[in-house]
Amino acid sequence: MSDGYKLVIGHFYPDLLNLYGDRGNVLALYRRASLRGIDVSIRSISVADELDPSMIDIAFIGGGQDSEQNIMSDDLVRVKGPLIKDMIEDGKVFLCICGGYQMLGKYYKEHTGDIVECLGALDYYTEARSDRFINDTIYSLVLDDGSEVKVAGFENHSGRTYLGEGVKPFMKVLTGHGNNGEDGFEGAVYKNTFCSYSHGSLLPKNPAITDMLLSRAMKKRYGESFELAPLDSSTEDKARAAALEYIEKGKEKAP
Amino acid sequence: MITFPGTAAAVVTRKILRLVGKGATTLPGKAAIRLSPSIIREKSRGKHIITITGTNGKTTTSHMISEMLNYLGYDIINNISGANLASGVATTLICGKDEMMRANGRSKGTIYVLETDEAAYAKIAGDLCPEVSVITNLFRDQLDRYGELTHTRDCIADGLNKTDAIAIVNSDDSLVASLGKGREDKTVFYGMGKKDMLRNNKLYPDRKSILPASPDAVYCPDCHIRYEYVSRSFGHLGDFKCPSCGFSSPISRFEVRYDLKQSPSNEDYPFAISDNLSGLTREMKLKIPGSHNLYNTCAAVSAVTVMLTKLGLSQEEAFEQATEAAGHVKAAFGRMEKIDVGGKKLCILLVKNPAGFDRSLSFVSEAEDAAGLMLLLNSNIADGKDVSWIWDVDLESKAEDLPENIFISGERWGDMLLRIEYAGMNVTESGDMSRAMEILNRALEMTPEGKCLYVMPNYTAMLSLRAALVHEYGLKEFWK
Repeated sequence: MSDGYKLVIGHFYPDLLNLYGDRGNVLALYRRASLRGIDVSIRSISVADELDPSMIDIAFIGGGQDSEQNIMSDDLVRVKGPLIKDMIEDGKVFLCICGGYQMLGKYYKEHTGDIVECLGALDYYTEARSDRFINDTIYSLVLDDGSEVKVAGFENHSGRTYLGEGVKPFMKVLTGHGNNGEDGFEGAVYKNTFCSYSHGSLLPKNPAITDMLLSRAMKKRYGESFELAPLDSSTEDKARAAALEYIEKGKEKAP
Repeated sequence: MITFPGTAAAVVTRKILRLVGKGATTLPGKAAIRLSPSIIREKSRGKHIITITGTNGKTTTSHMISEMLNYLGYDIINNISGANLASGVATTLICGKDEMMRANGRSKGTIYVLETDEAAYAKIAGDLCPEVSVITNLFRDQLDRYGELTHTRDCIADGLNKTDAIAIVNSDDSLVASLGKGREDKTVFYGMGKKDMLRNNKLYPDRKSILPASPDAVYCPDCHIRYEYVSRSFGHLGDFKCPSCGFSSPISRFEVRYDLKQSPSNEDYPFAISDNLSGLTREMKLKIPGSHNLYNTCAAVSAVTVMLTKLGLSQEEAFEQATEAAGHVKAAFGRMEKIDVGGKKLCILLVKNPAGFDRSLSFVSEAEDAAGLMLLLNSNIADGKDVSWIWDVDLESKAEDLPENIFISGERWGDMLLRIEYAGMNVTESGDMSRAMEILNRALEMTPEGKCLYVMPNYTAMLSLRAALVHEYGLKEFWK
């Protein structure tokens, strides 16, 4: 039983970084934690809001339109940046999607060749290209217990991300393009920070990832002996199977 | 007489397509533009044209304007079936006479009412030279196809600057309200009455949500500061102000006076529109229900008033006639029209983007006759390939007010099933597009006599559904 347990989801810049169903990821974490009896709360942390890392168990950073990322990037990199870096090093759980993924890296190189400095919390960089990867995706993910699952998602990005030595790829691409359309990998992992280009939303159809994030966050807060209670995922599995069937019948090809 | 090879091509293409039973709402225009690139400019010359653009409410507003002007004695030519790209507009300019809405009695003249896609507007507004251009709002809409909202806004500004049109602009939408900057003498604002909006916010607050919907445009793009809102209607629409540069929701000429004690989701909801230029206020009844249709009705009354003034009426006469005509509008097929199916009602609400989904859900949650809800989700190119937008909508706070019987279909039925269940609702039956009619019939069976089954498909799902309904229930073809 999880009675008396608490969990706080820190939703970063929800009024600016909220594209393509980012909100669904927060809902998925909320739902699968609260169905287990955990007392979950969602805290919004936007521009000029104070960030208290001790209050947050799972941080979510989504993606925004360019004009919106221009509004918040300075707050992320310069104001909250040092605290976010500490949280990541300390092993706090992060999920970062698309723009949120790119902004944690070292830099973003524009079409013009200009370099936009990013947070530099994780060892990768991104380069802009003129053509976008816009398609349904299927990835393969190895879970904490060593089992392998198929993940259904959707990618929509013109940036190509290249991982350095300091991080590991999150998933392998089965259908779609992933980080750069070249190396067959999708996303990045460092300690308890997980980054991906996948919308969809990513978590609702892929409860194995939701549960992995929840389990790690609860272990971080309550100790390694904490075990997440089992929870039915038949609706999620049905939705994922339907999406996988739709995608596998479709035209998208692996790189 | 046919003077352009493009015109001939369009007419012939249309005839052939109609012979084989196609709607032919875009291909003739495509053929014409290929042969005569200046065809839109040539065919627009000397015509009275009203355009309607914006992400939500285009079709409904165009339909209202058409019906109102037609009621007032004008012949109307429009592209009401949604063919709103350059090709569809060209088709309407060339072939539209075939399907003109004729005035009762002697015609006072012909007016073209053209719904125009936001991106297409930038390209064709200069050639069309409309006298009146309505800009309804900008909400996120298939960003993978259309790009960023600020870009869409700039496209509309480009188009507008190439015309002498009087722009009819929603003052409650920060993105489009800024279109009035620098062309104040050619801009007419409309919106919710600011005092009424504040009063309604206080008296009838929205239900609390565990997570607010993903908002659009809540920061000033110039100052990067969050807008302060005195009051809101829905989404990012409201009485906003940038605390830094002071840009705020402009004072509207046409204002909606309303009280949410009753729900605008029911037919004949009583409200009023004021014209602050002539000082007149007219009591009205909402002919197409839904709170968003208060905006659409006000936009249509504004456009018709301005057009009639241009045609020689006094401000007072124009406003009197426009508001009177608005009382005679009926819903268009497939757009909130209630279809009778064996003693039960079926109402299709096309849902293409988060704002539309939000408004439609709100509408159904308040509709007294709602007995069931069916959702159909596809992800073809015309829908946008990405279905993740369904998660941007705050279904959570609406769940307990929606009908208990929920049905799901479409190619992406699995995604919609999960969305609904994650909002805490149970789904009665779900399955892919091949089972859509079977599920719809089951949903109708469970609908009591006199009650209504509300159906929300996205674009291509609606096309399939309409075709199936035409086939199964013998309903009229939708392009007619």
